Amino acid sequence: MLVFAASDKGGTGRSVTSANLAYHRALDGDDVCYLDFDFGSPTAAAVFDLPDVLSEAEGRGLHSYLKGKTGEPLRVDVWARTEHPVLRSRPSGSGRLVLLPGDRTGGEFVTDEENLHRCVDLVLRLKREFDLIIVDLSAGRSYAMDLALAATSPRGGLGRLKNRWLVYHRWTRQHVMAAAELVYGKQGIVLAGIAMGHVPDALNGSIRFVRAAVPDLESPLWSQVSPAQYAWMRQCDKELEELAAGRGIGKTRVLSSIPLEPVLQWQERLITDEDVHDRRIANNETWQAMGDLAQRLTDDKFWGQL
Amino acid sequence: MTGLGTTGGPALVCGEVRTCLLPTRDAVDERTAVELLRLRADERVRVSRHPNRHAVSPDVLTGVDCLLPTANGTRVRAVGTVAARAVLVEGRVLQSTAYFRAPAKGPDRRQPWGYYLVRPGTLVPVGRLAEKPVTEGFLTGHRSGELDIGSVAESLLARISRRHRFLDYDTPLTTADTALRWTAAPADDGEAASLRFTKADDGLRIVELRLPRGTAPDVAAGLCEDLALHDWLLSTVNDKLDGLRVGADDGTAALKVLRPLVDHLLHLWMPQARVDRALRTTWAELEEDAGYSRQWHTLAQRVRDQLTLLHLTRRDALATP
Repeated sequence: MLVFAASDKGGTGRSVTSANLAYHRALDGDDVCYLDFDFGSPTAAAVFDLPDVLSEAEGRGLHSYLKGKTGEPLRVDVWARTEHPVLRSRPSGSGRLVLLPGDRTGGEFVTDEENLHRCVDLVLRLKREFDLIIVDLSAGRSYAMDLALAATSPRGGLGRLKNRWLVYHRWTRQHVMAAAELVYGKQGIVLAGIAMGHVPDALNGSIRFVRAAVPDLESPLWSQVSPAQYAWMRQCDKELEELAAGRGIGKTRVLSSIPLEPVLQWQERLITDEDVHDRRIANNETWQAMGDLAQRLTDDKFWGQL
Repeated sequence: MTGLGTTGGPALVCGEVRTCLLPTRDAVDERTAVELLRLRADERVRVSRHPNRHAVSPDVLTGVDCLLPTANGTRVRAVGTVAARAVLVEGRVLQSTAYFRAPAKGPDRRQPWGYYLVRPGTLVPVGRLAEKPVTEGFLTGHRSGELDIGSVAESLLARISRRHRFLDYDTPLTTADTALRWTAAPADDGEAASLRFTKADDGLRIVELRLPRGTAPDVAAGLCEDLALHDWLLSTVNDKLDGLRVGADDGTAALKVLRPLVDHLLHLWMPQARVDRALRTTWAELEEDAGYSRQWHTLAQRVRDQLTLLHLTRRDALATP
């Protein structure tokens, strides 16, 4: 399966949540690869704790590959190369976890036929080798997104592959509105996709939202707030839910809500079982939510036309 | 066509084989195999049915004018064409090979293209070919600006993978591709064919061959395809069985792994099906040192034993009320 991770704004937790998603699926035995299409600010290498990869990817990353500067993009075996102490011991029964990093100095670029063919060839190749391919797109309506839409359109070469879109947003007014605009707006994914030949219902049915850094008011994190603060936050939450529903991104369209996680506020990283149960620095709810997201990604109950 | 190490023949043959599972749910039939491998209108796809089904595409040529990789930084410019062909084994495993032959020396100046085009699959050095550094450099891997033969092989795989009419991209199991990079140099008179086989990271295999004088380049390529196929089969089955959880649940998870192996891979083992008699000593070496066939038969037996046990366990579970 091919999964595109998109968001309207930066700082939505798109990369970090997608990386955690990849990690969970690999733990469950899937062969997973993660493509960092976030040209200009590739962050996946940092999330997977691969400090040397950024410089290694210079001239050999995805951006160089799409431009035709290198015949094959760099592939990094995360289990073997990570400096993360827990990740280094690959659990038995887990699948492969491979990162295809982007070039740091790549920046955005205009898509043409050549890029499209290269992108299609690469995905078809990865499809043979991996159960799950996660493509992390740059924030906003980017060229990378156009490339993804063009490639997955019926004429684009990846039209027959099962593909899904995850749109990440934070739980604030601005983020909710921006996410809705990114998908349903005039310049949005749906209309752009239809213009490229996508079947409207199919495309619509393949898009779900992921709310990131959502404050759960019932969690211990917020137990010390005053009654006035609590009431105010409850009110905000309710209004946001109404706003989201009004913009077409209400609860039925949400695949998962990731709670606000202090660890992720400080560091963009993978949350491991050990962080939760041994070191007790991360919340169990976060671990659970990431796991749910990973399960629901391939569970058809959560997908399709509503 | 002149053979390796003969007068006027190549001093060196180099190539790379990429091996992968054909991206379809089931193995394709012979007719589809022929359609898939029809890369040129003017030449036929060669099909052989014994001892297994095997289809070979005609060679396609890629024009090249660049530096050859060398171990010591010597600049060796070579001009000509790289030949590439695709092979489909039992309609299930797809391979592509890109290879070239190189004479010990060529004209001191770059000739017009016509000169190179009458020598298909040959890279003619401008001046002398530094054989040892080129062999080592080629096997180590190219640097930027040097010949990248792997991408020639990969682009042929990509070209076939794009033929949507025949492919459903719904593979029954995920498998890692392998790349087998090889060089063949002439053996001394009286010396038997031999090989040095190394496994590197990321699915890369390195094979250094010494073959009897007069061995045709495409025969050498055939040997390497055979090596690559069996190495891929062994690696794939080994990977799938590595860490297999047999006692985890009612066996559903194990069955999910084991079943595709039986359906799609276990019947493909047939070493030296099409290897020239004079080159069989290379396989003998591999069998003796790494024990490929022994390991394969053990793994295959393990798969079958596990399935039998699963069947028994399930039957018992059904029988007990």
